[in-house]
Amino acid sequence: MIRVLRNQAWVLGLVGLLFALALVTKAIQPTYSASGFESLARAALPFAFATAGMAVAILVGGIDLSVASMMAVASVTAAVLMEGAGVGTSIGVVFLVLGIGLAMGAINGALIVVTKVPDIVVTLAMLYVWEGVALLILNAPGGQVAPWLQQLIRGSVLPWVPNALILAVVGVAIVWVPIRRSKLGLAIYAVGSDPLAAYRSGVNIAGTRIAAYAICGLFSAMGGLTLAMSTGIGEPIPGPYLLAAVAAAVLGGVVLGGGIGGLVGPLLAVLILRLVRQDLTLASVDPNVTTIVEGTIMVGVVMLGGILALRSRRS
Amino acid sequence: MKRILYTAAAMALVAGTAHAQDYTMGISNTVQGNGWREEMICAMKAQAADSGMVESLNIAHRNTDAAGQLEDLRNLIEAGVDAIVLNPASPDALNSAIEEAAERDIVVVAVDQGVGAEAAYVVSNNQEEYGYIGAKWLFEELGGSGDVVYMRGAAGAAADDDRNAGFQRALEEHPDINVVHEVFTGWQQDQGKQQILDFISTGIPFDGVWTSGIDNVIVDAFLESGTPLVPIVGADNAGFVQQLATVDGLVGAAVTNPGSIGGAGVAVALDILEGNPPEDRIVLVQPEIWANNTEEGMANIEAAQNPNLDPEWPVSVTIPGFTTYTMEEIIACNGPGES
Repeated sequence: MIRVLRNQAWVLGLVGLLFALALVTKAIQPTYSASGFESLARAALPFAFATAGMAVAILVGGIDLSVASMMAVASVTAAVLMEGAGVGTSIGVVFLVLGIGLAMGAINGALIVVTKVPDIVVTLAMLYVWEGVALLILNAPGGQVAPWLQQLIRGSVLPWVPNALILAVVGVAIVWVPIRRSKLGLAIYAVGSDPLAAYRSGVNIAGTRIAAYAICGLFSAMGGLTLAMSTGIGEPIPGPYLLAAVAAAVLGGVVLGGGIGGLVGPLLAVLILRLVRQDLTLASVDPNVTTIVEGTIMVGVVMLGGILALRSRRS
Repeated sequence: MKRILYTAAAMALVAGTAHAQDYTMGISNTVQGNGWREEMICAMKAQAADSGMVESLNIAHRNTDAAGQLEDLRNLIEAGVDAIVLNPASPDALNSAIEEAAERDIVVVAVDQGVGAEAAYVVSNNQEEYGYIGAKWLFEELGGSGDVVYMRGAAGAAADDDRNAGFQRALEEHPDINVVHEVFTGWQQDQGKQQILDFISTGIPFDGVWTSGIDNVIVDAFLESGTPLVPIVGADNAGFVQQLATVDGLVGAAVTNPGSIGGAGVAVALDILEGNPPEDRIVLVQPEIWANNTEEGMANIEAAQNPNLDPEWPVSVTIPGFTTYTMEEIIACNGPGES
């Protein structure tokens, strides 16, 4: 009960932080309007899925450093296969790419389970493997994403409710809500909290971890797809999503070490981090200082998360 | 009535001139910590300050991908700038944001590399010509036959594609030239140096090296490994230009690729804001070649020596006909309102 309350307190705190930042934004840029929020949501989209994937990997007690590389594989696969293809084919490609994401994640998980090498080492190695795969598929930025998919993330159905935000929330919820409510969801939290206790309670540890990494791969594929949807092309070199995903997951209340947190907090955290970047641009802060501020926030957040994780372990 | 009209006209005039003094301009760049790009940013700042027409610059300058540049461009649009000058991370990926800027009557000028969006003007060094004249000089230096190492830039970059088109054109004109090794340096100094050292250690003979601007470290690699020097083509980076003037036995040529193209982009953007757009959507600045075995080339190389210049900066810090700032102003690297 206390744990649940604390998680909700964290999420409520994030909502407050987001509103405070929104006020700051309005103060910096009095003309800030729905279109500004729409660009924010579009920019946040790939980060949202990367963070959701990372959060699941952390929840099960691991971490996945190959998230950005899996996104690159997904984005180039989509862009290459969709070039010149019709609507029907492109829908097929979307499902194929999601399947590839699941498979990549499952391979990561299986390697961790079978080799018993720490998650951080295996996924660091896989970061290079998936990056190489992406470069093999497409050695330079290219391909083309189906126009209807590019259109999907543009505009807003209602003012202040951008399509990109809806896609992020629906995309994450469609995968996560059913899992969270199933045995698998419970098992992910159990394994993340205490693998031994979970084992003694009859949870299939290996299967749960592989499944969690597969979900992480699926979210990464969704992130790669939205990345390609926003640029219209595929890029084989991974973008700056790895560290940003870790920072957003931790800021979102997911405790490094596993077992504690959800996906609502991390999604809010993604919006907060993108809004910080937007505010720094709107305020015309010196670009080199901007990098320092962003980096400081990320390091600060990750450190804070680490301290909290230590404390919760002691208590 | 007449008086009112006159007053209105006079006020409009005053308002017009007042407006011309206070443009805000956005800058977007996606490579940080590279000498060429830093010179580009300083040229943009110096030109904006020197023009006296820019009230403030809003600079989005970080290491990111095309999606990150889309985010930066949209944030600049939201900040309400009058013009955006960008160095595009991709020729195709940015079109949506460029069109959104155009819908809000924001002038967009891409510098260094082109973009597909018709709404944007492009002010670029002629990269195809860059590739061609350097390669042609090298192939002629080798007497029209021999084996060359071809050290390209970054795979997929528009500038690399264009330079390759020029290189291939020169290659067709010299059928007895043979490319024995082709690599992408990614325009990274350490990577390029390692690649040439690896190739030297294979023992495969070669007669010349064409580089896409990763040049002084290639000369270093020859000197450090004790390999006899062959003709080398590079860019007008301060370090390489100095080597052309001082290294014994080095025959080479620098092809100019001014990072100050950023300043030219700012100048063109201001012209467009003032109602004088260039005749063509794409403005190309032609490169020059400075070979250290010709009198004219050597004179250019000698003239370009400047100890105050950062060794990784291109030495051609101004572009006649476009930029108006002085050498001191670009080295100081101050934008409007900074000192």
